[in-house]
Amino acid sequence: MGASSSPTVLRTILGSCVGICIYDRMKKIGGMAHILLPNNPGDGIPEKYADSAIPLLITRLLKDGAKKEFLSAKLAGGASMFKFNASVTLGQIGERNVEESKKILEKNGIPVLEEDTGGNTGRVIDFFLEDGRLKVKAGGQEKLYYKV
Amino acid sequence: MHAHIQQRIQGIINNLDQLPSIPDVASKVLTMVNDPDISFKAIADEISKDQAITTNILKLCNSAYFSKGKEISSIDRAIVTLGIKEVKDIVIVAATREVLNKIVVGYDLARGELWKHGIAVAVLSKKIATIKNRKAVADIAFTGGIIHDVGKTVLALFVQNTFREILETAQARQIQFPAAEKEIMGFDHQEIGEKILTKWKFPEVLKAIVRHHHEPDKSPAEFLPIVSIVHIANTLCLMAGIGIGADGLYHELSDTAIKTLGLSNRELEELYGDMPQVLNQASGIL
Repeated sequence: MGASSSPTVLRTILGSCVGICIYDRMKKIGGMAHILLPNNPGDGIPEKYADSAIPLLITRLLKDGAKKEFLSAKLAGGASMFKFNASVTLGQIGERNVEESKKILEKNGIPVLEEDTGGNTGRVIDFFLEDGRLKVKAGGQEKLYYKV
Repeated sequence: MHAHIQQRIQGIINNLDQLPSIPDVASKVLTMVNDPDISFKAIADEISKDQAITTNILKLCNSAYFSKGKEISSIDRAIVTLGIKEVKDIVIVAATREVLNKIVVGYDLARGELWKHGIAVAVLSKKIATIKNRKAVADIAFTGGIIHDVGKTVLALFVQNTFREILETAQARQIQFPAAEKEIMGFDHQEIGEKILTKWKFPEVLKAIVRHHHEPDKSPAEFLPIVSIVHIANTLCLMAGIGIGADGLYHELSDTAIKTLGLSNRELEELYGDMPQVLNQASGIL
């Protein structure tokens, strides 16, 4: 997990993990959580799970001076294996990560403005803290998401 | 299928000089370790003949992942302190680094990513072998993990120009990426990897790992458990984004592998959740 102000770029590589990028459009402060699994069993490292990492990131951003009403989120990642037996729960982990991330963001009143999730591709993402834009490189192609 | 690409690849396979090479000491040590009549001293002497690799091996012996705390300054000491299997694994790390630690263009892997992926798969394979009561083969799983994708280093050049077609074939026919590689180029990276291991004179078990790591079902029965271990480790690393390239997750998570090892849903998720620690351990070897 990382939180900072401009001109930093936060980069990560995602498979089934989800990158949650939260940005304050007025203060131009942002941070990223890179989660592996949806739910913290209780004693897990909080940064690894959507339901504990996202509240932690929000708290940290607020502490750094962000205001909740100016925060918005972008999501990327959550890909799945091409083929797996339906009884193997790990197969749905990408989808579950995206769902749980959205649920926790909604609970905290943070709108999800852009989403590049699902499918079977890996993603290299760059989150630019100068303006909150997100660059997603997947399968040899790049996309930019500007909404903040 | 592109016949001219298939011919070019066939040409590379036929001419062993065009396949990557590693220091001879690697295959010698792999053979010696399996020979009960050979003394540790003879193995240590064999390794010590190659001065450059010896320096690297000693560095690795003292790295966070392999070190047992005491400073190791000779191969003799390394074998006594770490054990012969561990030293054999270290020899393979040192011997294969140059071949694997490079840019793999067609698969869209930056310099070092294939190497990091191999080491992470090695560390995780050893961990899975240990927790699933297969500690006796943990070292072989580790070696197999390092080299499982070696075929990509040769095939990358051809994948660069055919990537779109391969991906579209995988999607249209609902087949995994290596099967689509074979459709388009006549070969997949597993087969090429096996050829490379034949050149290196590596044992059958390692060839089986390289050849079948995406399709454990096709593995000879005697090697199924170890192929399954590397398959699961590889899948978990890719899902965690470690060394995930242009082929993404266009692969199968094999039910045969899960059943062979008796992994529960909970165990699989826990292993996946442990990836940050695995990566941490792996970085001590890079």
